[in-house]
Amino acid sequence: MGKNKRKDLIPENIPENIPENDPSGSGMTDNISLRSQIGEEEKFSDLLRRMARENKLAVISAVVILLFVLAAVFAPVLTPYKETEMDLLHRLSPPSAAHPLGTDEGGRDILTRVLYGSRISLLVGVVPTLLSMLLGTVLGLAAGFLGGKTDAVIMRLADIMLGFPSMLLAMLIMYTLGDGLMNVFLTLALVNWASVARIVRAEALQIKESEYVEAARVIGVARYKIILRHILPNAVPTLIVLFTLNVPSSILTESSLSFLGLGIQVPDASWGLMVNTGRQYLYNAPWLSFVPSAAIMLVVLSFNFLGDGLRDVLDPYQKNQ
Amino acid sequence: MGQNMLEVRHLCASFFTQKGEVKAVNDVSFEVPRGRIVGIVGESGCGKSMTVRSVMRLLKYPGKIVSGEVMLDGRDLMRLSGREMAAVRGAEVSMIFQDPMTSLNPVMKAGKQVSEAVRIHQHVSSEEAKRRTLEIFEAVGIPEPARRYDSYPHQLSGGLRQRVMIAMAMICRPKLLIADEPTTALDVTVEAQILRIMKNLCGTGTSVLIISHNLGVIAQICDYVYVMYAGRIVEQADTFTLFEHPMHPYTCGLLNAVASLRLGREKLDTIPGVVPNLLHLPEGCSFSLRCEKCSGICASKMPDLMKTGEGHMVRCHLSGKGGES
Amino acid sequence: MKYNILQRLLQAAAVLLGVALLIFVMLRIVPGNPIATMMGEHADAATIERMTAELGLDQPIPAQFCRYIADAFRGDFGTSYSLGKPVSQLMKAAFGNTLKLAVLAALFAWILGIGCGIIAAVRKNGVFDHLFMGVSLLGVSMPVFMVAMILQYVFAYHLHWLPISGTDSIKGFILPAVALGWNSAGSVSRLVRSTLLDILQEAYIDTARAKGRRQWGVLGIHALRNALLPVVTMMALQISSLLSGAVITETIFSINGIGRLAVQAISGRDIPLLQGTALFSTAVVILGNFLADCLYSVLDPRIRKEA
Repeated sequence: MGKNKRKDLIPENIPENIPENDPSGSGMTDNISLRSQIGEEEKFSDLLRRMARENKLAVISAVVILLFVLAAVFAPVLTPYKETEMDLLHRLSPPSAAHPLGTDEGGRDILTRVLYGSRISLLVGVVPTLLSMLLGTVLGLAAGFLGGKTDAVIMRLADIMLGFPSMLLAMLIMYTLGDGLMNVFLTLALVNWASVARIVRAEALQIKESEYVEAARVIGVARYKIILRHILPNAVPTLIVLFTLNVPSSILTESSLSFLGLGIQVPDASWGLMVNTGRQYLYNAPWLSFVPSAAIMLVVLSFNFLGDGLRDVLDPYQKNQ
Repeated sequence: MGQNMLEVRHLCASFFTQKGEVKAVNDVSFEVPRGRIVGIVGESGCGKSMTVRSVMRLLKYPGKIVSGEVMLDGRDLMRLSGREMAAVRGAEVSMIFQDPMTSLNPVMKAGKQVSEAVRIHQHVSSEEAKRRTLEIFEAVGIPEPARRYDSYPHQLSGGLRQRVMIAMAMICRPKLLIADEPTTALDVTVEAQILRIMKNLCGTGTSVLIISHNLGVIAQICDYVYVMYAGRIVEQADTFTLFEHPMHPYTCGLLNAVASLRLGREKLDTIPGVVPNLLHLPEGCSFSLRCEKCSGICASKMPDLMKTGEGHMVRCHLSGKGGES
Repeated sequence: MKYNILQRLLQAAAVLLGVALLIFVMLRIVPGNPIATMMGEHADAATIERMTAELGLDQPIPAQFCRYIADAFRGDFGTSYSLGKPVSQLMKAAFGNTLKLAVLAALFAWILGIGCGIIAAVRKNGVFDHLFMGVSLLGVSMPVFMVAMILQYVFAYHLHWLPISGTDSIKGFILPAVALGWNSAGSVSRLVRSTLLDILQEAYIDTARAKGRRQWGVLGIHALRNALLPVVTMMALQISSLLSGAVITETIFSINGIGRLAVQAISGRDIPLLQGTALFSTAVVILGNFLADCLYSVLDPRIRKEA
C-alpha cells in the first residue's frame, strides 16, 4: 500500500519524464538523472516533516497517542475518584454527569479506571516490544551477518516460534512463568522476537550484499564494526516501523490474555481485565466492557495509522515480501 | 479512402500532477501512410511514448489526452466509446512494448496469450485460435511453435518473447502496428532479426509506427521520420533527407553524436545540458537553452514548423540559414 | 519438484518435533508437582507418589519426551487430569467445531476481503476505496473479543436474529465466524488492494489492454491471478491467527473447540490436555504453511519449473 501512495504523492515521479540510461549507446546525450537534481538524500527529520504534511491521519494518531500517554501520567490529577474506590450505592450506573462513562460492579468510576488502565496497557505495548526488538535485532543481525550454523540454529528456532498460533504460545509461556506484570512483559517479548529476527535478518542480508559494506570489508574493517556502523544504522528505518506496528499487536495480545484471566491480576487495572470482568454484565451494563474495548481500539488504531504513515515515508519493505 | 492509414492532428496530452499540468505532448501532428513505416525519434522523456499511447488511448494515470484528432483509416478514435475503442485495440491497431521481459503475463502460457487476442475479437473455436497462433508463430520465426505454445514467458529468451509479442500484435492482421522501443531491451543481433520481421510484416499491408531513441533502428527501417523534443515535433522529413540534410540543431546534435561514435573520435560529441523540465519550459524555443546557435529571437518566441523542402519541415528560427553544419 | 516437496515436508516435520520438545520442556519446568496441584490439598503423599510413577513423571525428561512422542504417533496423547478422558478423544470432538468455525470465518474473510480489495483498487481514491480502507483498518485494530461482544450484544441480545451461543445448528456459528473473520477480512482486503494496485502498473496489463481486453477482462484474466499469489501466502499465515482468535471466540460463544479446551486446560492446570491442544494447533498451522507452499508453486509457473 505504501508504495502506491507514494507514487501519487511525489509528483516528480512522472514515468515519462525520468531519463533512463541509454543502453544501446546510440548517441543520445548523457542524461543526468532527475533524482540528483531533486536531491534524493532526505534527512530523517525531513521525512517526518513530509509525513506530517502529507498524512494528516498519522499526525492525528500521534496526537491521540500522546494524549493517552499524558492521561496515564496525570491520571490522579485528571479525576476526582480513586482507581479502587468502591461506591456500592452506585453499582453499574450508566454514564452520567458524575460518572461520564458510568461505574462498574463495585461502583468504581470507569473513566478513572480507563485512565489508570492506560498506564499498564501502554507499558505492556512498549516494554515487551522493546525487549522483543532488542532480542530479535541481535539474533537477526547475527543470523544474517554471520550466516552458516548460527543462522541455521537461530532461524530454525524462529520457525518453531512462528509455528505456534501466537495466542497459544502466549498462554503456554504465561502458564510456565506464572501471572504478574513482569511475566507478561517477558511472555510478549518471547512471542514476538521471531518475526522481528526474520525481518532484520532479511534486511541484514540485503545490506550485507551492498557495495559499501563490500568496500568496508575489502579495506579490512572488523566485522562487529561493519555491523555497528553500516548494517545497524541502515536497518533503523525498518526497526522504527516495526516498533510502531508491534506495539499495537502487543497491546492486543495482552488484552486477550487478560480477557482470559491470564497475566495481569486484580488489583492492577488493565483494559483487557476490565473487559473480562465487565463481560458478566454485558447485557445490563454493556459500557463496562465496551468502554475499555474502545480504548484498546483507539490506541491500536492510532499506532497502526502512525506505523502506516511512517512506512509510507520510510518505505523500508521491499514490495514483494 | 485517404492515402494515410493514421492521421494525428493537433494532439495534446498532459500529466496532471500536484505541481500543475505537465504538457508532455504539445500540439503534435503526424501521419502514417498506408503500407509504410514511420518513425518518431527523441530522447527519453520527450513525449514520444505518450504520443503513441494516446493513439491507443492507453495513457497511464495521471496522464490524460487534452485535445486532438486521431484518424485511423478515416475514423476518429477519440470519438469512440470505451467499448468501441477496446474493439479497435488489437484488431485494427495493436502495439508492442519496450520490455518483452515484463510485457507478457508471467502466469499464462505464451500461446494462450496470443490466441487470446484472436478470441477477443473473432468468434472462433479454441482449436481454430490455436491453429492460427501456431501459424503466426511460424511466420514470426519462432522455432518449434507447438512446444513454444505451451511455454511460460520466463522459459523464453528475450528475442523469443518479443516475437511472441509481435505474433500477438499481428494475429488479427491490424491496419496499424505501433512499436514502442521494440528492440531497446534486446541485444544487437536479435534486434536485427526483429527489425527484419517487422519490415516483412509491413509488406503484408500493415502500416507501422515505430518509436525509438536509437537512430540506427530508425535509419534501418523507416520511410519517414519525425524528431520530437520536449513534447513537440521539431523536424520531419523522409529518412534519407533527414540523415543527409538535417536542419534542426537538435537533429544535427543527435546525428553528430552517432557519427562521432562511428568514426571512433576521441571525444564524443554530445548535446550539452539535459532535457528541460516540462513544468518549466523556457519561454521561447524549448531547445534554446541547449542550442549552440541560440540567438535573440530563440529565447523569446517559439518557432513554428516551417517547410524547407519537399516533405521536410523544421521548427527553428534559423532553418535554412545555419541548421546544417 | 518431488524432491522439493519431500524436502519441505521433512522441514515441516522437524519444526513440529521442535515445537513438541519446546512445549514439553516448558510444561515440565513449571514449579510444583502437577499431580499434587491437581489432587488438591487432601491427597496424601503416597497416593501422589503412586500417581506420579504411574504417569511416568518420575523419569528423566528425555525419557518422558521419547515416550510421549512414541505415544503421540499412535494417537495417544495421555489422559486429561481435569476431565478424566483421553486427550485424543476430547480433541477429536472439539476439532470438528473449531474446523467449522475457522472455515466459515475464513470464507467470510476472504470473500469480503477480496471483494472489497478489488473494488477499492479499481476505484482507487473513490468513495468505496476510502470507506473500505477505513473500515478495514478499524477491523484490524479491533480486539477479537470486542467484535464478538458487539455482535452478541446487537444481533443476539437486542435483535434476537441469531443465538447467543450454542452449536446445535449452523446458525450458532454465524456470529462467531463473523467475529473471528473480521480481523482477517481487514488485512486481506488491504493486501489485495495494494497488490492489485502494484500489478495494474505492470507492463503485461498494458499488453492485455492493447490486445483489446476491456477493464473487467484485464482484471479477471490477467491481474487477479497474479494478485492472488501473495494472498495465498497470507491465507497460510492466517490459519495461525484464526486459531489464536478461536481461543477467544470459542470462549465468548461457548463453543466446545480446541481453543476453549486449551483455556480449560490452563485453568485446570491440566498438562496433558494443554500439551495436546498446543501441539495439535501448531501441527495444523505447520501443515497449512506446507500446503500453501505447494499451492503457491502450482499457481506460479516460475516457481514450478525452477524446482
